[in-house]
Amino acid sequence: MKRRDPWRIGGAVFLAGLTIFALLPMAWMLITSLKTQFAALQYPPQWLPKNPTLEQYSLLLSPGNPVGQEFLRYLFNSLWVSFASTVLGVVVAVPAAYAFSRFRFPGRNLLFYSVLLRNMFPAVVFLMPLFIMMRWLGLVNTQASLILTYLTFGLPLSIWLLKGFYDNIPVQLEQAARIDGASRFQAFILIVMPLSSPGIIATAIYSFIMAWNEYVYALTFINNAERLTLPVGLQRFFTEYATNWPGLMAASFIMSVPVVALFLVLQKYFVRALTEGAVKS
Amino acid sequence: MAEVRLSHIVKGYGTQLAVNDLSLTVNDGEFVALVGPSGCGKTTTLNLTAGLIELTGGEIHIGDRNVTDLDPKDRDIAMVFQNYALYPNKSVYKNLAFPLQMRRTPKADIDRKIREAARLLDIEHLLERRPRELSGGQQQRVALGRALVRDPKVFLMDEPLSNLDAKLRVQMRAELKRFHHDLSATIIYVTHDQLEAVTMADRMAVMHGGLLQQYDTPERVFEAPVNVFVAGFVGSPAMNLVPAQVTEGGAALESPQGWRCTLSPENARKARAASSRDVVLGARHSTITLSPTPLPGGIEGRVYTLEPTGDITFVHVRLGNDTLVISTPPATRFAPNAPVWLGVDQTKLHLFDAATGMALRAA
Ligand SMILES: Nc1ncnc2c1ncn2[C@@H]1O[C@H](COP(=O)(O)OP(=O)(O)O)[C@@H](O)[C@H]1O
Ligand SMILES: [Mg+2]
Repeated sequence: MKRRDPWRIGGAVFLAGLTIFALLPMAWMLITSLKTQFAALQYPPQWLPKNPTLEQYSLLLSPGNPVGQEFLRYLFNSLWVSFASTVLGVVVAVPAAYAFSRFRFPGRNLLFYSVLLRNMFPAVVFLMPLFIMMRWLGLVNTQASLILTYLTFGLPLSIWLLKGFYDNIPVQLEQAARIDGASRFQAFILIVMPLSSPGIIATAIYSFIMAWNEYVYALTFINNAERLTLPVGLQRFFTEYATNWPGLMAASFIMSVPVVALFLVLQKYFVRALTEGAVKS
Repeated sequence: MAEVRLSHIVKGYGTQLAVNDLSLTVNDGEFVALVGPSGCGKTTTLNLTAGLIELTGGEIHIGDRNVTDLDPKDRDIAMVFQNYALYPNKSVYKNLAFPLQMRRTPKADIDRKIREAARLLDIEHLLERRPRELSGGQQQRVALGRALVRDPKVFLMDEPLSNLDAKLRVQMRAELKRFHHDLSATIIYVTHDQLEAVTMADRMAVMHGGLLQQYDTPERVFEAPVNVFVAGFVGSPAMNLVPAQVTEGGAALESPQGWRCTLSPENARKARAASSRDVVLGARHSTITLSPTPLPGGIEGRVYTLEPTGDITFVHVRLGNDTLVISTPPATRFAPNAPVWLGVDQTKLHLFDAATGMALRAA
């Protein structure tokens, strides 16, 4: 690629700009979280903290003080809600995708497209209807309401992606397994599932991040401070501890660690899931 | 090993019958080829035998057991697929081990059987590889190995050679035949290639449109096809089939294309058995002689084109609008558009009822 293609150069500049735009706030967040309260409010700002300190982190992560207690409770709530909706999502998406791929049943296409239809509307459109449904179900102010909601957000993509995987796995592999002595279920578990694992991992991580970041529903469905998830809890921090910028930034940083870590893994599996399929044909 | 008995099996998809009332018995140790054009129901028949799909009607026996309602795993069969269906995430060794593990074979036996099969198929050096690291021929052997490690009662094979290149296909054909001989295995072998069926099978079952057309030895199917379809399907180049009409009294055939052919007394009797005057005359390329000069009783045609293959030259001859392919020794030369005279060997001639397509038998 010796040729100076103006499109390539322009593209590189654009991407570099985008990267800076995305990373600068994160860098600032990290820097601020390492400052003392006094240093954080100085003007002009210190670009690099003169006396970096982990004080805020130890405060947030030690259960011994009220701030740490509250923060860790939100963290745990978020972990639980995200984890539960992820696991349930996989448990539902895998058999559903397999059925859509392998079986011909009346209403199959209609059902499949109505699953996808969910993703064509902005999420807030469903806020009121879902809230009313949760009230009917008596689930308002419980984490179950969030888990159910996040399930409906994550499933369409999971099902669609996994169906693509199962479509690519030749049915003869299962037939061979069944002739070799496996039951239908064993053929699925022993032969088909491992081949679709990149897809399962990718969709699981996607569901997790989606649930981890979600704010509007968590804010609407839950009032009880005991049950708040981290995005909403963080907002409470914001009002209660408005003067403590380093503390807020440290909390934000801790919250973004799982997302960044999972995304690093995700992009590898996502690329694999979307490009390669399971078996070369 | 065991015999396989299919009794009146039927498989319908919606209103269409993929397999229509098919009955046949494969004897213990026999190599039977299911052959027919694409879409005629061969794979469906094999999958029904394996239990991979459910019968719409009929019964299947393997040995003295009625397996009609059994799962594939309980039928004691092995199958080789067209795309080999090797487990892509397992090594060759683990591919071969899988059927044994599923049957809870002791570990030491598993290893011994895998080594035995690998030696037989000459794939010992490939055991640690993944399927995608193997050539087509090697994958084929591994698929065969996976089928034979556990001594099944019946081998089912669905076009196992059709993904190989021509040369390898000829070689594997010989090896499969040898494999059948060495193991005295009962084999049902599906192919769309009539040559594979003719060269390998003890008996061949010719299918068309879900219906069994003829089930007999390759020689009999070749010499006495029961209908126009079988006549045209088996043999290469295909049998020449031309429409004709029986003359009054049945002593000769005449064609709207203007030629006339006197029949032997035997063939005349067959012609009289036709339901109407319309018949189809069948003659293989090797049973017609060509002469550049008029023959007594010969049919006059015109050379269309020549196909020299080295040891035989195929001459395409036009009789009016019909084209016949006739083999000649390469020494005799014909020029395109030259007139030629065809002499038909009456003892090798086939007559079919044009209305039903069935072969005519002397009444
Ligand atoms: N799952 C199916 N659903 C509907 N029709 C099918 C199905 N499988 C096979 N068929 C039809 O049954 C007929 C026979 O198919 P098959 O047995 O695969 O043919 P072959 O193996 O001889 O090429 C074909 O017309 C095919 O379209
Ligand atoms: Mg087929």
